[in-house]
Amino acid sequence: MYRNRRFIAGALIIVVAVGYLIYTGVRETSVYYLTIDEFLSRREAVAGEGVRVAGRVAADSMQWNASTLDLKFRLANFAGSGGVDVTYNGVLPDMFAEGRDVIVEGTYAHDGVFRARTLMTSCPSKYEAEVPKT
Amino acid sequence: MIELGALALRLALVAAVYAVLAAVAGARLRRTDVVASSRAAAYAVNGLVVVATAVLLRALLQHDFSLEYVAAYSSSTLPTQYVAAALWGGQQGSLLFWTLLLTTMSTLVHLQNRDRNQALMPYVTTTLMTTAIFFLALTVFVTDPFERLPVPAREGADLNPLLQNYWMMIHPPSLYLGYVGCSVPFAFGMAALVTGRLGDVWIRTTRRWTLFAWFFLTIGNLLGARWAYEVLGWGGYWAWDPVENAAFMPWLACTAFLHSVMIQEKRNMLKMWNMVLVLLTFTLTIFGTFLTRSGVVSSVHSFTQSGLGPFFIGFLAVVIAVSVALLYLRRPLLRSENEIDSFLSREGAFLFNNLLLVGIAFATFWGTVFPVISEAVRGIKITVGPPFFNKVNTPLGLALLFMIGVGPVIAWRRSTARNLRRNFTIPVVAGVLTGVALLGTGLVGNYYAIVCFSLAAFVIATIVLEFYRGTRARQALMGEPPATALVHLVNKNRRRYGGYIIHVGVVLAFVGIAASAAFRVEEQRTMRAGDTVEVGGFALTYKGMRQADNPHVASMLAEIEVARGGRVIATMFPEKRFYKRQQQPTTEVAMRTTWREDLYLVLGSYDQESGLMTLQAFINPLVIWIWIGGIVMVLGTVVSVLPTAAEQRALAAALAVEERGLAVWSE
Repeated sequence: MYRNRRFIAGALIIVVAVGYLIYTGVRETSVYYLTIDEFLSRREAVAGEGVRVAGRVAADSMQWNASTLDLKFRLANFAGSGGVDVTYNGVLPDMFAEGRDVIVEGTYAHDGVFRARTLMTSCPSKYEAEVPKT
Repeated sequence: MIELGALALRLALVAAVYAVLAAVAGARLRRTDVVASSRAAAYAVNGLVVVATAVLLRALLQHDFSLEYVAAYSSSTLPTQYVAAALWGGQQGSLLFWTLLLTTMSTLVHLQNRDRNQALMPYVTTTLMTTAIFFLALTVFVTDPFERLPVPAREGADLNPLLQNYWMMIHPPSLYLGYVGCSVPFAFGMAALVTGRLGDVWIRTTRRWTLFAWFFLTIGNLLGARWAYEVLGWGGYWAWDPVENAAFMPWLACTAFLHSVMIQEKRNMLKMWNMVLVLLTFTLTIFGTFLTRSGVVSSVHSFTQSGLGPFFIGFLAVVIAVSVALLYLRRPLLRSENEIDSFLSREGAFLFNNLLLVGIAFATFWGTVFPVISEAVRGIKITVGPPFFNKVNTPLGLALLFMIGVGPVIAWRRSTARNLRRNFTIPVVAGVLTGVALLGTGLVGNYYAIVCFSLAAFVIATIVLEFYRGTRARQALMGEPPATALVHLVNKNRRRYGGYIIHVGVVLAFVGIAASAAFRVEEQRTMRAGDTVEVGGFALTYKGMRQADNPHVASMLAEIEVARGGRVIATMFPEKRFYKRQQQPTTEVAMRTTWREDLYLVLGSYDQESGLMTLQAFINPLVIWIWIGGIVMVLGTVVSVLPTAAEQRALAAALAVEERGLAVWSE
């Protein structure tokens, strides 16, 4: 039994190490994942923190400067109302367009602008084409 | 024709239910004729699923757009090879394809064990056919591949452009073979639990199946990475996306299982642990399918938000409940006959390797489902991204790399100081020298990468030493020339030396991953025709834009002249495509691969009016070694899977002992 106990202690070290890594990993890297409506109702509380927001690019809101790669658009809810202004610098993902569902990750500042670090296009139907109803 | 497919699926479901009932009844009543009928039913299930798959494939190839599936995942302009790949491109088809692989493997298992494992086989049939029932029920009642459109479509919506790629043609089948292959050892494990025959027969019988599954899981993961690298165009090959994790977790559990069964074979230990691992591997394959099919976790790959989630959760709950109950009932029989004597022993090393693999799997699982858990517990969704997985898994992975060096050469039971000196002096020196040399060259800044390279040198040294000593011993003993001695050495113990070769492949992959993660160079520049940008020693000149057009795709190609040291070495064409059917743009990466690095160019955007083009350039060092590592792993697996005479005898002996007790009821 003595030997086994020593082994359990050894195994516990690994278990504790894994647990510790997960704990600190979550604490240091986790971000809130909010829908645009959730975000709008608590935006002042999460200002300055890393947050991920899912919404839809509002119609006629996209301004894209191809030489500076500056993008501005309004992230609205799925009904197309409300929203927050988002700025982003970088190449547009292939699927990015007005009316598309996107996820932005970045920080919201008290000046009312969401500065996105990453822009993800998440179309739940990405691999599922609509069947043309003819 | 279509009705035939739908009918075949329904009949297959009935036959599978019969197979389960007959197998259990036959085993309980000790009626060989009833057991034989269950086997026949399992063959019939396979045959019927083949028919159903053939019908769907035919409909795809004939562009029968009256079928919803065909209309949704193919089109008349889609190249034929992708039309065939559309068989697993959508949900219904992929579930059918899964069922096809599962029932085909069931047939092979039954043929292989016609005259063997008579006590285990009925419960193997039960387990495999229960899994088949689950998938068949899904295709019959929930997501029917043979559903007709109310009005036939004139044209199909086409396969997603991202899937129109040759890696994508072979990646899903390979992964599925791996997933489904895991159900064979699981089925034997369950049969061993039910019958209480918990010796190593089930393990020896399924060793090759486990290796087969592991082999395809490995290839599937690597092909997926390769696909992401080439098609998604963000410069990397692994993003810790839920769908990637779904394939990675079973691989980890399967790897742990492959190693821990050796301890049971050699030392009759860890029986309980092996059962837990085989259960874990199987549930993770089902969980992986669930992740990709349910949309419960949002993913860049997000397939579909279908209503399949609850069914998978239900099936998983049943599998786990039954298995845990069996484990609990059988725990007296699963007690170890031996104890681990010392930390410094092969048993100890394997146990730690197992804990690390399971630890990585758990961390990956936790990160993947964290949004769901946090929402359930705290009412708010919190996600973790790639930084979490890298932060947690990098140290664990490095510890695992260290164990790859230690495990195979440390002595069984208890290592003496002499044994440790003999086996590890040279490798430790090699590792330390590598580290010092790298620090000397000024590669400072990324300590993880340097640790990884040092450990890699350490592991390679242990393996080279093993081959060297084995060859020398044969030369001395048999008087063979070195080359012959080496070949004979490997041949005499393919399993062991095949394992070493696999380890070399794993080390190469580690090196490629560490180098490309730590020393990647990235540059993004908006350019006019004639502009040049310097990236990591390359001068990239944008010469102009070319266009191409066909009925299926329109494309724009940026002509980039690549020079190094004033000399033009290549012209590359990063491309943007527009798939007309799906109205979707895609990015086609241009890549120039050498042993040292990949130059990876992406056409970020192009503005027609101003003529401005944005180029993204990545220099990813040593990426090719990941793929070479994969090929080495494939070779190693082939070597270790070839049977040796000694191993055949061991299996035959183990079976003979088993069958003696059965002579009574095979009358």
